[in-house]
Amino acid sequence: MRPLLVAFSLLTSSAAMAQAATSQEALPTPPASEPREAVEPSATAPQQPAAPQPPRANAPTVPEASPSIDERLTADEHRVEALEEQNTETKNDLSALKKLRFSGYVQGRYQYQQDLDDSGAGGYSRFGIRRGRLKATYTTDLTQFMLQIDAVPTGVALRDAEATLFVPGTKQQLSVTLGQMKWPFGYEGPQSSSDREFPERSRVVRNMLPSERDRGAKVNARYKFLRLAVGVFDGAGIDSGTTQDNDKEKDVIAHLGFDLKWLAGGVSGWYGHALGRLPSDTFRHAYDRSRIGADLQAYFDVVPLGGTSLKGEFIAGRTYGAANNAAHLDVPAHGWYLLLVQNIGLNDAVAVRYDTFDPHNGQADLAAGELPGADNAVDTVGFVVQHHFGENLKMSATYEIPTTHAVAQALDPHDNLFTLQMQARF
Amino acid sequence: MKKTLLSSFVAFGLAVLPLSAQAGTVTVKGSDTMVILAQRWAEAFMKKNPATKIQVTGGGSGTGLAALQNGTTDIAMSSREIKEAEEEKLRTRYNTPPTAVSVAKDGVTFYVNASNKLDALTVEQLKDIYLGDTTSWKAVGGADAPIVLYSRENSSGTYVFVKDTVLGGDDFAAAAQTLPGTAAVVNAVSKEKNGIGYGGAAYAKGIKELKVKKGNEAFAPTAENVKSGKYPLSRDLFFYLRNKPSGEAKAFIDFALSAEGQAIVTQVGYFPVK
Repeated sequence: MRPLLVAFSLLTSSAAMAQAATSQEALPTPPASEPREAVEPSATAPQQPAAPQPPRANAPTVPEASPSIDERLTADEHRVEALEEQNTETKNDLSALKKLRFSGYVQGRYQYQQDLDDSGAGGYSRFGIRRGRLKATYTTDLTQFMLQIDAVPTGVALRDAEATLFVPGTKQQLSVTLGQMKWPFGYEGPQSSSDREFPERSRVVRNMLPSERDRGAKVNARYKFLRLAVGVFDGAGIDSGTTQDNDKEKDVIAHLGFDLKWLAGGVSGWYGHALGRLPSDTFRHAYDRSRIGADLQAYFDVVPLGGTSLKGEFIAGRTYGAANNAAHLDVPAHGWYLLLVQNIGLNDAVAVRYDTFDPHNGQADLAAGELPGADNAVDTVGFVVQHHFGENLKMSATYEIPTTHAVAQALDPHDNLFTLQMQARF
Repeated sequence: MKKTLLSSFVAFGLAVLPLSAQAGTVTVKGSDTMVILAQRWAEAFMKKNPATKIQVTGGGSGTGLAALQNGTTDIAMSSREIKEAEEEKLRTRYNTPPTAVSVAKDGVTFYVNASNKLDALTVEQLKDIYLGDTTSWKAVGGADAPIVLYSRENSSGTYVFVKDTVLGGDDFAAAAQTLPGTAAVVNAVSKEKNGIGYGGAAYAKGIKELKVKKGNEAFAPTAENVKSGKYPLSRDLFFYLRNKPSGEAKAFIDFALSAEGQAIVTQVGYFPVK
């Protein structure tokens, strides 16, 4: 045991000595140009540092050799340089992070719908999560990446996945986007659901632009007050039930708009085909899928309570509806809405909307027993009161009264709908 | 049931009707370039109108415009024009187009060392210098010496102005040294004989303010040239509001635009709009 201890003691002491030697060697040698007094100990200073002694009473204190002003300045300059370097590094990291932006919103709801008929059938009282969106956007001078998902009780679905190139030299006024994105048609379709006053889009937009999105390529251009968006899309939309287009038909969709600050609007066009087979067809046929639209938004400052806006949109088209648009193949339809919004102070607003949709132009209103026909026109009047709790939370109460055109003994269904919605966004 | 639903709806509506805004206080937030100016205006205005309180804070143009969107300020100060996206957000949220009021003008000035024999450059030459395409003073008629570039931090409105107006949106040369304020830029240029920097109009020893050439004429960043728009690098300093100014906010803006208010603009070092 004793020899072992001796060996260990020798080993540790030699290691310590070696370390000390290395440290001495690593000490920097002063540059030749540096002033002598800055590097050489003063003549009065001891060769070896003496152990500190308690100061004697009344004894004059000997000032320790302090670094010269030059030395201190040099040291400070080095420190500042080091800090500047760190600062630059941090700024570089932060500038990269600043290009990445996360945003999103959740819409929680309570809804009550009247019984649809006098038998007590239909209607509901339920809580739900209408939208749970999370969006990531990374934007540089030349490119933009955007991905948006929707997490709701039925699952998580991809809403948008866009890759955009801003054409160099155009200050982002001209861009090309490929991926899954909103159709460039009209006003309410492309508008974010988080900005809308009413919980759902008007009936005509829901039918003509189901899910509002599709896969395709789009060019966006802006010149002064003019806006142009034109794209080529698969055409059936992301609610069509297919994850890829299985035909060679493509739809061309465009919106030409203007923005004069207090007045904005535009015209839209859509031309394409939907493959399908009507009962009279032996084989599938490419039926026209087309739309024309016009939209206008006016913003006023006439009521002393706050801003007022009036928005309207008209859409007419052929072949529409969800599920591969086959439900209304080759059927002409049209509809429009008018929306009036009045702000009251900074945090409140009231709105009223009238929308109408005729699902089959030229077809007389029908009755199916005591109920109106499925393709009868529907007019809806809706009222909203909304309140902003700060910048992140909006609460709205909406009451909508749909009136289905009825004939003979058929009655307008009792389908008035109350929606209380709380929207949190960041 | 319809009656019950309608009653609930009306009750909710009444419950959320707005509380009256805090009377007597106008908040002004935004551009750091404009903070001192707005503070001077506020001091002078509050002396005349003791019942009104004007709260002025900085944070940058973007911060002010964001506060306007969020409803946390009455007036946003901005040394740049509002962006389309910001304007769209304001319209969507408040259903009215925002109002812009130009309250002062500023001339972005390029400085060189006092020993530099150059007096004027074109915007194109300045662009080439700051993009790093021109690296020697000789190329623009000066001495045979390398150009030392000084710039501002990217959070500065002046940086954004130069980037957009002079560089056409392109990035500054990597060699440009970033400094935290106009005073730092002026100081650096006064010490570096081959230096060039930019900022607001500055009257300091050791530097020379460059004129900017437009055609055959060269314009100095004087009050007259900035006000008339002849100086190519002049910009407006704005107050932005959610809607048309009214009440105390309007009174404050009217004061800023009055002869007394515009005299303060000159005292602070900017140029009057009237």
